[in-house]
Amino acid sequence: MAEQEKPPAPAPPTQTFTVKAGHASAPHTMEVHAAEGDIAPWDLDSRLRLVKGRHPRLEAPLKVTGRAKYTYDIGLPGMLWARMVRAPLPAAEIVAIDTSRAQALPGVKAVWTTESRKVRFQGQDIAAVAAVSPEVAEDAARLIKVTYDERPYVTDLKKAMEDGAPLVYDTGELPADADESLKKTRRSGNVVGPRERRNGLRGDVDAGLLAADVRVEATYEVPVHTHVPLETHGVIARWEGDQLTIWASTQGVGTVQEGMAEYLGIDRKNVTVITEHMGGGFGSKLHPSAEGSAFAGICCKLAKQAGAPVKLMLHRQEQHLCAGNAPSALMTLRLGAKKDGTLTGVHFRSFGSAGIADGAGSGGPASALYGDCPNLKIEEHDVFTNAGPAAPLRAPGHPQGAFGLESAMDELAHALGMDPLELRRKNETSPVRRIQYDVGAAAIGWARRNRVPGQAEGAPPGSRPAGRLRGLGMANGNWYVFARGAGVFAEVKIHRDGSVELFQGSQDIGTGLRTALAIVVAEELGIAVRDVTVRIGDTRFPAGVSSGGSNTTNSVAPAVRLAAHEALQKLKADTGLTQITSLKQAAARMKGEMISATAERKKQYETYRGDLAGTQFVEVEVDADTGTVRVVKMVAVNDCGFPINALTAESQVIGAMIQGVSWALFENRVMDRNVGTMVNPNIESYKVLGAKDMFEAVPILTEIANAGNNTSAAGLGEPCLVPTLAAVANAVFNATGVRIRELPLTPDKVLAGLRRRA
Amino acid sequence: MAERRGVSRRTFLKTAGVGAAATTVAGAGARAASPAVLGPDPVALALKVNGEARTVTVEPRVTLLRALRNHLDLTGAKEICERGSCGGCTVLLDGQPVASCLMLAADAEGRELTTVEGLGSPEHLSPLQAAFVECDALQCGFCTPGFVVSGTALLRRNPHPTLEEVKDGLAGNVCRCGTYPRVFEAVLKAAAAAPAAKRRS
Repeated sequence: MAEQEKPPAPAPPTQTFTVKAGHASAPHTMEVHAAEGDIAPWDLDSRLRLVKGRHPRLEAPLKVTGRAKYTYDIGLPGMLWARMVRAPLPAAEIVAIDTSRAQALPGVKAVWTTESRKVRFQGQDIAAVAAVSPEVAEDAARLIKVTYDERPYVTDLKKAMEDGAPLVYDTGELPADADESLKKTRRSGNVVGPRERRNGLRGDVDAGLLAADVRVEATYEVPVHTHVPLETHGVIARWEGDQLTIWASTQGVGTVQEGMAEYLGIDRKNVTVITEHMGGGFGSKLHPSAEGSAFAGICCKLAKQAGAPVKLMLHRQEQHLCAGNAPSALMTLRLGAKKDGTLTGVHFRSFGSAGIADGAGSGGPASALYGDCPNLKIEEHDVFTNAGPAAPLRAPGHPQGAFGLESAMDELAHALGMDPLELRRKNETSPVRRIQYDVGAAAIGWARRNRVPGQAEGAPPGSRPAGRLRGLGMANGNWYVFARGAGVFAEVKIHRDGSVELFQGSQDIGTGLRTALAIVVAEELGIAVRDVTVRIGDTRFPAGVSSGGSNTTNSVAPAVRLAAHEALQKLKADTGLTQITSLKQAAARMKGEMISATAERKKQYETYRGDLAGTQFVEVEVDADTGTVRVVKMVAVNDCGFPINALTAESQVIGAMIQGVSWALFENRVMDRNVGTMVNPNIESYKVLGAKDMFEAVPILTEIANAGNNTSAAGLGEPCLVPTLAAVANAVFNATGVRIRELPLTPDKVLAGLRRRA
Repeated sequence: MAERRGVSRRTFLKTAGVGAAATTVAGAGARAASPAVLGPDPVALALKVNGEARTVTVEPRVTLLRALRNHLDLTGAKEICERGSCGGCTVLLDGQPVASCLMLAADAEGRELTTVEGLGSPEHLSPLQAAFVECDALQCGFCTPGFVVSGTALLRRNPHPTLEEVKDGLAGNVCRCGTYPRVFEAVLKAAAAAPAAKRRS
């Protein structure tokens, strides 16, 4: 993930632009200091023909007809199929691996075995085969005999925290990729922490809580979720001499190029990585292979050994076990406020497990929201368990952390006898979220909420909840403006016949990047979106970024706009035209056959806001007889800077609401406590939200001219998932009067709560 | 998954048993005794896909999904869960949607197969495919062919469905990006555009 850009220090030549920034309802004029050669950012005064409009995806016709070739769909002449053998146990020593029977099987062309002797989680890489068909590869994998010496294990978060729990890492051992921060943090048994973090301490939280009129304290739990991208992780590797070409289902072709060059000990220049279409990642495909598997490197080795291209796609079960998951979170919140709702202290203490890795911090929302509260303390702990390592999943740690913080805020509002929305307004620091509160409350009809939780309007006071109970809830989320300020390039070519091509290395992971970049080029050149041919997802093209942290559009689009701008300037200089009304006619007058301009993204500069605001409102219906929770309607109000394409931006927000509701109601990685393996590594008992669970999803984009770059784009994919879990739980409380502090909100928990209440 | 009527678990097991289990358990003698036994070596299968006669030579244990994808380069149907729980591999078998991962290619002989490729091309989209494009009823697009095939089958059965009927008709398809509302919108839009006279019984 890219580093957040720091405010620029006084530096090399800059130019000053005056920008009409912010929201149209409250314009804010500001000066920004852009690098020389950059162009003025689009702002509230820009008359934009295409940007912010609604444009269907350019590749959609290929995708709806089954013609789009994803990595999973690519076949090469002479290609072999690989299959991996994975550890069936959560902890063991490998005594022996016997591949002789597999190697003897006709059709088997290459075999790989691990050099590691220690198994720390079910699903760890053990062996791999490449064979003439997927069926033969599967047969061969079954013929590999591995002898294990089983060891004690722990897969449950709370059990792993106990004294005397089996140690995932012996004293003195740490994960192979442990960073300096992990190495120097205090460790006790499987627990590491508190982890150092920025913006985790303000004032004196104990004094702040003492000074409060009202205090709440509660513990909240979120289980491990898995990513479930429908296209599993996988690659096809082909060697031609020392040239390696890899087709990868990845969020970062550059990351795969770098990672494979390193893994294989070869030069990056000899590695080409291609991702034309990609079937979902959600953060799990930011690794060169996967967090819990070196499958891509193994595939390259098999291809080398076999002397033929090899395809290795993970199966669904492997995807759940080794290709990443989102850490669990066990969070204790202490909040205090004055009678008027002014926060006096926020204490966030969490334990979470990223399996055999670290990275389970969930304090982000507590750190960033309600920043006027003078007293804050965040203590995050990682707990090692014998389970696959986590991977970033859409705003890593933030949906979990917001579930804790925003549930606690709801409890605080209740304790204060305050409207939960008013409590947020009272402590709000973002002018954008203030606008969003009004928009969201109106869209959901916030006035319809139950004044007394669990008590429908008109029902006799104190009557038992029965039948179908409706309730409304809301919660906030936060995210950051991440953008790469240099090292991102784009090339625009205008051909003599007027046709236009854009070359950019970044991959479209389903967000609509391809179309967004075409819009930017078309806007700048005065042509139609469909007249731009976008060539992306290839390391041979000008360098792009890995798609993580919601940084792709705002890192790449400014370079693309600049390249289009420069190509147009060159065309003018070449033809002597000062005004171009028809690109086609102008291009016909160029001296050569083609004009090309390559531009590098200029530095990120001052933004209207460095954070991305979001708030969500939801209506639920709870069946008091069965305990079933159904979301009726959800309104997501999000800031993403300028949405380059409102149509696809809305799709992302809708998708985040759905993924969030799916986590809130259904998703849960269940580990078998008796054997330490995952019970539900599939798509039916690892339940994800389906058509019949759908609700009315209302995405509302808060357009903010954010500056920071010449397009005012800021980022969207992740922030819109942050508030959802808490919003749903808060609505269930409003409907039933039952506070459920442990996700998912399954019927058993609802019924138990209703029984306690009765 | 009420819609998937084309092949039952029983027929699947029967054919799989003939193709794989019989050869290992009963041995060659049993195979010779029954002329219907296939395999274990590859056999030539005559399939009718998207109106064309195609021959694939595959081991009898190869599923219809893998035969389409790995032997006919029809990769619109996706390999996602391989156990009938996601709908991504849906194809039409004699007009009925089936999970092609749960069916052996050998069992598709003599049947009419339609894959998403047979419903339209990028240059000539079917009305439903065009509605998917316009409504942005896709994000990563990996589940999209399955939704298009299930939605096509639904509209053929019920040309003017209600929203609830659309949800029922797509209940066997999973989308992870979270595109359902726009898929519903696309199906309803295609239905609204279809003339009432074209209704089929």
